[in-house]
This record gives sequence, structure tokens and C-alpha cells, in this order.
Amino acid sequence: MSIVSARQVSKEYKLGKTTVLAVQKINLEVEKGEFVCICGPSGSGKTTFFNIIGCLDKPTEGTVQIMNQDVSGLSDAQLSELRNKSIGFIFQTFNLMPVLTAYENVEYPLWILGKEKRERRRIVLKMLEDVGLLEHKDHKPDELSGGQRQRVAVARALVTMPALVLADEPTANLDSKTGVAILELMRKMNDEFSTTFIFSTHDPQIMEYAQKIYHISDGRFIEEESRKRG
Amino acid sequence: MKHSFFTLALRNIFRNKRRTSITLLSIVSGMVCLIVFGGFVEYSFWGLRESTIRSQLGHIQVYKKGYSEKGVANPSKYLIDDFQRMEGLFYKIPYVELVTARLSFSGLISTGENSLICKGDGVIPEKEAKLASFEEIVDGEGLFEEGKEEVVIGSEMQKSLGARIGDDLTILTTTPSGMMNAVDIKLVGIARSGAKDYDSVFAKLPLSVVQRLLFTTEVEKIVILLDKTEHTQEVAQQLNLLFKEKGLNMELKTWNDLAPFYQAVVRLYIGIFGVIKVIIAILVLFSIANTMTMSVFERVKEIGTLRAIGTKKSGILKLFLWEGFLIGIMGAVMGIIAGILIAQGINLCGGIYMPPPPAMTTGYNALILIVPGVLLYAFLSTIVISTISACYPALRATRLSIVESLGHN
Repeated sequence: MSIVSARQVSKEYKLGKTTVLAVQKINLEVEKGEFVCICGPSGSGKTTFFNIIGCLDKPTEGTVQIMNQDVSGLSDAQLSELRNKSIGFIFQTFNLMPVLTAYENVEYPLWILGKEKRERRRIVLKMLEDVGLLEHKDHKPDELSGGQRQRVAVARALVTMPALVLADEPTANLDSKTGVAILELMRKMNDEFSTTFIFSTHDPQIMEYAQKIYHISDGRFIEEESRKRG
Repeated sequence: MKHSFFTLALRNIFRNKRRTSITLLSIVSGMVCLIVFGGFVEYSFWGLRESTIRSQLGHIQVYKKGYSEKGVANPSKYLIDDFQRMEGLFYKIPYVELVTARLSFSGLISTGENSLICKGDGVIPEKEAKLASFEEIVDGEGLFEEGKEEVVIGSEMQKSLGARIGDDLTILTTTPSGMMNAVDIKLVGIARSGAKDYDSVFAKLPLSVVQRLLFTTEVEKIVILLDKTEHTQEVAQQLNLLFKEKGLNMELKTWNDLAPFYQAVVRLYIGIFGVIKVIIAILVLFSIANTMTMSVFERVKEIGTLRAIGTKKSGILKLFLWEGFLIGIMGAVMGIIAGILIAQGINLCGGIYMPPPPAMTTGYNALILIVPGVLLYAFLSTIVISTISACYPALRATRLSIVESLGHN
């Protein structure tokens, strides 16, 4: 089953009188359960492309389908629902709510989804246990280390059991050891829940974890390589 | 935690304690102004109203039918001949504390050397002290005994006449039949109501003396004093019913009808209070809007994250409106407490000295009344203004682009 299908996706930005082509006619098909890496240097268009397939931004040209649904005609509210239900996000800077505890941060997407409290509690505790943070559940983000925060973010991204998790440079703000641990956690979740992961990085050590790597430069895919998982 | 935009908003409010404190301080200051000024205005209304009622008018005046329309030109045709009967009937009505009668005349009052026009009132001495409780005897004493030829005059009149306590004065007037009549009378008291015009012309004599002067046994009006001013309309209705039931050819006027000056002052003060309310509302509105806008700018990335993980625009709107509402609630509660404490403090210090108002002769110490209506108004309007103040920042927050918000540092 195709989870993400991007066809001839382009994105232009206007910067003053100049038009910048951030993404140019990219095609991408990602199947269920795949663990995909998009790698490229800063400014290569990774984040712009992530935003488009994450339904945070609209392409100037081309179409995006998430689970075979064309998202171009969806309203803002429908896109919000789609993101809440089917797409998990892991950000480079963790982006946790500072006023919420680890437990509450993970619980938030379930509350938006309308799950009842008891059900939420069961899922959140299981998810925190899976990411190894059960004992830190009552800690606020500023009481956690970078790695722990990113684990909370992983748990938050996965808590609604989305079809797709998008992780834009999830290890960029972590030391290499912690970065590897986060990637291993993501891969464990990929194995356990068959969740499709697309992540971006320019760290060769992190790329090793991917089944498929797409190299992007100047807004275009320039190379695709498939690997056996280690 | 029970997840809700309410709890999220509550926690966000306490994130930046200093900023929230400054916002709350501006709300509390606004509310204190409203409560203290509202209480001052209410005290001024109360003081003016009660001094008018309890020095001149009473709460209700009853006349023979037609008096209001034609009695000024020819009062002798509208005199009441059965005061004793009516007094008995009126005392049966709840809230009535005092029923007394008056017979007025216009004439000249003279010391022999100086003469002035006066507006004389024949009063029942033993009831007058209770009716005119706001009238201050500044020299001598009040009237005590029915039938004695004694007079109490206004303080301004006394100055103009140059009369002293114990002086013999002469009052000259015209009887209803057109004859001139005069009475020699002893000055026993000088009184001050505070109203300069009234104090320049009034002279109070025992009712029986005035009746002898005017060759009549009747009275001009019946003055009724109630336990509380708030009961005026209710008693007026009962009196009108009584007139119908008993076939009494009478009419009445309440103090409200007889005190146009009071109404003018009330309208003026309400106008001033309204302007102050609007100014305070604008100040509070901008203060909260500023805080909320700063809060939106500081949390752009968070807003982007909330939107990315599925929060709808309506959710973001609710979050910021809750924050405005909660700041309003907190400010309103603190403002009520501070307002009451400051008002009580002012009252404990003896109030605020006010110079004599227009047409009055004496200043007064204004107290701050704690008025439930003002407290409720201040409380509710603060919450409403606070919530309205949050609308613009909240709308701005919903209009932020998710992508730009996530990239915001």
C-alpha cells in the first residue's frame, strides 16, 4: 500500500523580486512500513519537501497523496484532522510544549483526536514505556535531557498510531551517541508498529539505518539507493 | 491532567509571571478606579438625595387634587381640612415612619431695621426634628412646642437680616381672603440645610401659629417620611390605591418629582462616570491586547507545532481566548478585593473632603460606598473586556503560516 505518493512536486518562493525554486519536480513513492531517508545539505530542499508531504504546505505544482488520498482539495480543518490521525512529526528542536509534562505532551494528540481519558492513559503509558521514559512521565521538557526530549517527541509522533512519521533532522541537535539511540528507537517502532518513517539527515552514520536513501540537491532527487537493514 | 484548552491556557498564563503580574496590576488599577469612583458617585447621590428628602421634601407629599396644577397660583383653594383622618390612614401603610403636615406662605420677615422676603412653613414641631434630620441647627434650638410664637430661620437669611437668637421678629403676610396680617415672633434657632437658596428664604414656625396668621385650620400638604428611600414607589402605589378605595380627592408627588436639581446632578455624574468607564476600559483593553500579542509572538513556534500535530485553527483561537478570559477572571477577583480594601481604607481615614457643591454652602467628607451593582459591573466588564482584548491576538495566532511558525526562532 502506498503511504506517500508525490508526483512532479515543485515549490516556488518569492523572495522580493526573485523566485526561488526550493523543490523541482520531485517524484516519490513510499510504501507501508518503509524506513526512508532523504539526505542532502542544508538548503537542498529537504524541509520544504517534508512540509509538503506532511500537509503543512501546498506545492506550487504537482500532487501529493497520503494513503491514496489527494490532499490538494482538503480544507484547513480536514488537513488538521489528517495530520492528527495519520501523520506524526518529529522535529529537529523537539518542539515539546514547555508547560506540559512528558505524559501530557504525548497525550495531547490523543486528546485532539477525541480519545477518552482512560484509553488515553493506557496508550500514553505504554508509549512512554516503549521509549523508556515511564519514570520521567511527570517531568516537564526543561527537566529532561535532549535525548529524553526527543524520545518524548517520538512517543508523541507515534501515539495516534499514524501511517506515516516524518522526522526532519531528528538527530541534528543531539550528540552522536544519543542520535544513534533515537534512530534505533525509531527503527524499533518501525518494526513494532509497521509505521512508515521518512527522516532527513546529512549525517552518514544516521543514513545507515535507512532501507532507502534519496539524495536531494538544489531541490531535486539526484540519486536513490536501496540498502539491506543492518 | 484533564486535557483542555482551559488548563493549557491556565498554565500558559503562569509561564511569564512578571508579564502576567504587570497585566493583572493594570486590570486591578482599572477596577479600583471604577469601584472607588463608582462608590464615591453613589455616596454623592445618596448624600444629595437624603439631604433633600430629610431637610425639605420628605419622601412623598400629598395634596388636594389639582394642587400641583393650579395650587401655586391659588393655594387657599386646595387646602386639606381632614389631616387627622388621613394621618391615621397613612400610618397603616407599611414603611411609613412619619406623617406630618405643612402650611406654607410667602411674606416679609423683619427685624424692624431689615426686612426680607421669606418662604414660611408651618410645621408640627415635635415631628420636624425627625423629618428634617439632615438640617443642622447652627445656633439656638429647634422648635419644640406647638402654639408658641417662635421661629427658626435659615443661616443665610439670618446673615442678611443681622438677627440674633432671642430677637423679636415680625412676619407679615396676606391671608387667603386678601387681608394683611402680621405676627410678632421670637427667633429661637438658626438652621442650615446646606442648600444656599433654601437657607436664604426659609422660616419655620409652629403650624398652629401659621394657621392663626392665615385665618385657617387647614393644612396645605401632608409630608410622609419612610423608613427607606427605596420604598418610595411602593408606598406611592399603595397611597394611590388608598385614594381610590376611600374616595379621597387627593394627589401625590414623590421626592423624585420634586427634586429636579437632584436629577440634573445624577445625569451629570452618570455622564462623567460613563466617560471614565470608557477610558478605563480602553486602557485595560490595550494592556491585555499588548500582553496577548507579545505572548503570540513569543510562542509562534509552539503555535506552529500545535497546528502541525493536528490542532485546528479553532483550537488555537480557543486557547488564546481562554487565556484572555482567565486573565480577566483573575484580575477581576483581585480588583474586587483591592477595590473593597482601598474603599474601606479611605472610609476609615474619614473619607475624601469635598468642597461645597454648586448652590450648597458646606463641603462634606465623601465616603466610598461599596455598591454591589458597581462591583458586579466592574467584575463582568473586566472579564468581557479581557476576553475581547484577546480576540485580535488570537486571530493573528490562527492566521500564522504553519511552515513559517515552525521555522521561527
